[in-house]
Amino acid sequence: MLKLSLGTPTQNCRGLSRRHALRLGTCGLIGGMTLPRLLELQAKAAISTGPKAKSCIFLFLEGGPPHQDMWDPKPEAPAEIRGPFQAIRTNVPGTFVTDQLPLCAKIADKYTILRNHGHNDNGHSTGYHYVMTGRRASFADGDNPIPNNEFYPSFGSAVSRSLGAQGSLPPYINLPHPMQGGGAGFYGAQHAPFVIEADPSQPDFDVKDLQPPAELSTSRLGVRRRLLAGLDALELQHQQPTGQAMSTYYEKAFQLIASEDARHAFNIHAEPNSVRDAYGRTQFGQCALLARRLVEGGCRFVGVDAPGWDVHFNCFPSLKTDLIPYADQAFSALVTDLEQRGLLDETLVVMMGEMGRTPRINAQAGRDHWSMAQTIVFAGGGTIPGQVIGATDKHASATIGAPVGVNDLLRTISVLMGIDPDRTYLSPLGRPVPIVDGGQVIKGLI
Amino acid sequence: MNRYPRLCLLKLCLLKLCALIALAVCGNFVSQAGELEVSPSTVLLERPEASQQIIIWQADSAQRRNDRTREATIRVEPAGIATVDERGLVRPLANGLATLLVTVGDQQKSIPIVVARMNNPEKISFQHEIIPILTKARCNSGGCHGKAEGQNGFKLSIFGFDAQADYDAIVSESRGRRVAVTNPTNSLLIQKATAKIPHGGAEAILPDSDRERRLFRWIAEGAQFHFQDAAVPEIVRIEVEPQEQVLLAGETQQLRVSTVDTLGRRQCVTSDSEFESNAASIADVDARGLIQASSVPGEAAILVRHLGHVTTCRITQPRLEQTFERPIEYNFIDTLAWEKLQRLGIQPSTLCDDATFLRRASLDVIGTLPTVDQARSFLNDPAPDKRQRLIDELLDRDEYADYWTMKWLDILRADQLTISPQGAVAMQRWLQSCFAENRPYDEWSTELLTVQGNTSAEGPGSFYKILNKPDEAARAVSQLLLGVRIECAQCHHHPSERWTQSDYVALAGFFTGLSLKQLPNGEQALIALGGKDLPHPRSGELVPTRVLGGSPADFNKITDRRQVLAAWLTQNENPYFAKAIANRLWAHYFGRGLIEPIDDIRETNPATNPALLDALADHLREIDFDLKAFTRTLLNSRLYQTSSQTLPSNADDQQNFSHYLQKPLPAEVLLDAINQSSGVAEEFNGWPVGYRAIQVWDNHMPSYFFRIFGRPVRATVCECERSGEPSIAQALHLLNAPELFEKISHRHGRARRLSNSNQSPVELIDELYLSTLSRMPSSAERDLMLQAFTDLDRRAATEDVLWTLMNSKEFLFNH
Repeated sequence: MLKLSLGTPTQNCRGLSRRHALRLGTCGLIGGMTLPRLLELQAKAAISTGPKAKSCIFLFLEGGPPHQDMWDPKPEAPAEIRGPFQAIRTNVPGTFVTDQLPLCAKIADKYTILRNHGHNDNGHSTGYHYVMTGRRASFADGDNPIPNNEFYPSFGSAVSRSLGAQGSLPPYINLPHPMQGGGAGFYGAQHAPFVIEADPSQPDFDVKDLQPPAELSTSRLGVRRRLLAGLDALELQHQQPTGQAMSTYYEKAFQLIASEDARHAFNIHAEPNSVRDAYGRTQFGQCALLARRLVEGGCRFVGVDAPGWDVHFNCFPSLKTDLIPYADQAFSALVTDLEQRGLLDETLVVMMGEMGRTPRINAQAGRDHWSMAQTIVFAGGGTIPGQVIGATDKHASATIGAPVGVNDLLRTISVLMGIDPDRTYLSPLGRPVPIVDGGQVIKGLI
Repeated sequence: MNRYPRLCLLKLCLLKLCALIALAVCGNFVSQAGELEVSPSTVLLERPEASQQIIIWQADSAQRRNDRTREATIRVEPAGIATVDERGLVRPLANGLATLLVTVGDQQKSIPIVVARMNNPEKISFQHEIIPILTKARCNSGGCHGKAEGQNGFKLSIFGFDAQADYDAIVSESRGRRVAVTNPTNSLLIQKATAKIPHGGAEAILPDSDRERRLFRWIAEGAQFHFQDAAVPEIVRIEVEPQEQVLLAGETQQLRVSTVDTLGRRQCVTSDSEFESNAASIADVDARGLIQASSVPGEAAILVRHLGHVTTCRITQPRLEQTFERPIEYNFIDTLAWEKLQRLGIQPSTLCDDATFLRRASLDVIGTLPTVDQARSFLNDPAPDKRQRLIDELLDRDEYADYWTMKWLDILRADQLTISPQGAVAMQRWLQSCFAENRPYDEWSTELLTVQGNTSAEGPGSFYKILNKPDEAARAVSQLLLGVRIECAQCHHHPSERWTQSDYVALAGFFTGLSLKQLPNGEQALIALGGKDLPHPRSGELVPTRVLGGSPADFNKITDRRQVLAAWLTQNENPYFAKAIANRLWAHYFGRGLIEPIDDIRETNPATNPALLDALADHLREIDFDLKAFTRTLLNSRLYQTSSQTLPSNADDQQNFSHYLQKPLPAEVLLDAINQSSGVAEEFNGWPVGYRAIQVWDNHMPSYFFRIFGRPVRATVCECERSGEPSIAQALHLLNAPELFEKISHRHGRARRLSNSNQSPVELIDELYLSTLSRMPSSAERDLMLQAFTDLDRRAATEDVLWTLMNSKEFLFNH
């Protein structure tokens, strides 16, 4: 009647529901399992649930995407709030998005729209820091040291540290711009993202330092390899752990260079034209496609930073031409592609920015920063698709009820990936710092 | 409270038991192994939830006391009075007298057990007996209810440092649901903690355990904080047995922890205390205080913590079978280092060769590789004192000031975005002159501490632009100049030290007179005038300003409060100042501090060689804080000149300097080394050609190389910011980067010059080795590299040999 397989990878992502547990309780004892014991197991299962998501693709719309112009339309609101875009039906009855997302509207049963995210950090660099690390920035907005998360690691670094690499690809890759909030903080350089600064939509796209300079002939490459291997063999006898650590990274680098899988993962040119077109021949589209290839190659956390969303001035033309359509195409293609490849269940896709945008259109026909309400879109990785979670008020200016916070989001991703969000690592001062600073798993999402 | 009945009972019991003890002792049979000894000599249990850890000692033929507790057969007679578990924890069952009988091999020993007051025990003190439960079960840890905002609406003070707040949270908040005095079983506190109802932290306290019973009784007694009729005696300290112990590989040792209160009463709190090893690879400790020695020789300190009190047990783990050949002694460093190594049975490695010494000392003192000519002349110099002369020459080089300025800019947080480029330059020039003129350290650190005036004028004034709050300044100065991390005490009692929040605000009081004034030209001036005492963060009472561990400061006729602090800092009696800088320099040159982390000096984090650190601090004071002279002493020791090649007996030693510890080159030094070896200078964006990476004060100058090799962001005063951790991106960069390819194949570079010359391939290889590794190649290496010249044309071969050497671990590390 009821199968208990807590802690095994095959278990249902929701673990054991309280209702099931209660039913068990009323059934009396099953194999010595008392209600309290079951409830305790359930409490534990919330943390130790077998991972659903092997990897995460985090699509970050830098600058703050306007939630009301995309995922949270307010057709009843006055024009200065509603904006020029219309609400359209999706393939999920009762769910509406704006007409700028026609492709996503067709597959709304494959993802979930969370409309009640919000926080109160209204700056770019500070908001970015907050979303990536779950911690308030200690610096003023506008200070842009790179990376700006000097102390707290970004979530990708936590994934790298907790799960490590699978295969020859680095566990945490970031493209196409180094993330300001994406540094490893006190975790150190080995958990910093492997950054691909090139634009994969360009014909000459290549990953920096992955291939030797083109000027080198095959025979020279052969000589170099032989010399280095020979020197290594002579050096081996007097190496200490520190030197060995460097050796390990050299080995990983060699694996990365030599690995057919890795080379293949990075080689977006190998992708059929039809697929490349489906994602859109845009920077964002091709980054999303590359992210899929990297996930297939074993990368755990791919951060894609899509710039240009800070639309303070005359925003609607650019939203209509460059921004939303590109995101619409990239996101829908990614979700569809992952599903067709059977990867959607094990790949979590999250799309959001550091904030939403002001309800009222400003005097320059733009929208300003508005961190109190934002929409986050989730697909795959053990999330329940086809839902709308939460809502904002009639002007999309505030969440109804308490907002889902940054740490709720990070805790949810953490649990989905099988990482204990409360696991601590010691800071240089010896203070245990948990991966996620509080928060609760988002209700109804998993 | 009337204490007499208890004392009378005790006396009576002791009288009765004297006879028993005498009998037991007479019955002992003396064998080769020493006599058994049981600690403590009587077990007194006066509460139902009390427990007493015993340790059974036996001396071996080498007169070492060994813990035999877990091998012993332990019985309680008669049964029914008390129980004892396999680890030697005695717990009460019913009032009465009993005997604990211990048998190890053919030896026996017995001690009396007194169980009393089971029906009318002393009432439970929240502060002394409930807080430790919350700590031990980790309820009040930073990942749980101890974090700043609590967990699910229930917030406790971290480590239980604020008993009153915790009491209120448990007893008063949440409409009193957490404790139900009339029906303790229904208390949310117990139900949650034992996971009888769902609890995110699962089963933190085992049902039916002593801890649950203690919680239960405390609630049943009315869940009081204090009792009107019982002035709860303060706990004055904790004691641990043993305080030091020699363990051989694989051996175990149980600890026994007691509190001592103002009445001198001792109570066993072993099972309530927390334990932590500072060197788990040598000796680790479990939650019940059982130490397990590994097979790595060395020393470990086991930190024991209970209710804000800390103490340590020092474990020494020697390798006894090792014969020790004492190397030559060049100075006092060697004497003390060899003594320690001899005691541990670790043989130091041999003296490093000349080439290694040249490269090591150059990279360490001036952050710069020796040139080919310097290497050749040093290697060919037959003079026996050439190492001493090299040290003197290096200390006289301009790069000495450049390199040490860079290091101090990092820890003085000269982040140009925060303190402005002018501020960073002002700081850089000031440091440069301090090092170039070799001003005494106490003098310039006083200047750093008491600086006033225009922050853009040469000087350290911009230090206070970052540390613009009194407490930020206090903790930075404390960590930087004293090696005391008082930061923890900002929010709570320091978890492994005696520093409290009072100490924290008392120190911050020295910096309350500081202000930044805007000057007409847009620059700022730092002014120190007056000041005030600061309130305690919890009680709000003003805390008199005082130095760490001192009495309230006297500011009579003082305008700048910081001067009082500076005077204390640099006086000879200061217990931290000289040690902190000695340890900092030691860590730079030897790859690891005598105290590690280097700026975390406290009793519970002892130096691996305390005598050596004391001697170094004394030496520094004797030479009036002359840092160059001090460096000379370090480098002239035989210890610094030890090879990094390990011996079987020292391969796993990481803390006693038995072999030189390899260090990755800092990002700037590595880039300069690449440039110097390739013969192609770097052009830094916005800087004149010829500037070297160690001279660039702008920590935000965009550079892919610096980013992946971990240049510090200058956000803390901690040297730990400089990450030496390797990454794949680093390896890829060195292997494939076009930037490196350009340098190696540059038409004015070293490789091109060599391949255009008429030197033989062997001569070319020799020079490339000298330029990168400062040594001649071995014949095997020469043969290997010559292969390139048979397979490729001369120019390609030269470049590829250089590339190979730059990618060798020997190049990337100081070894």
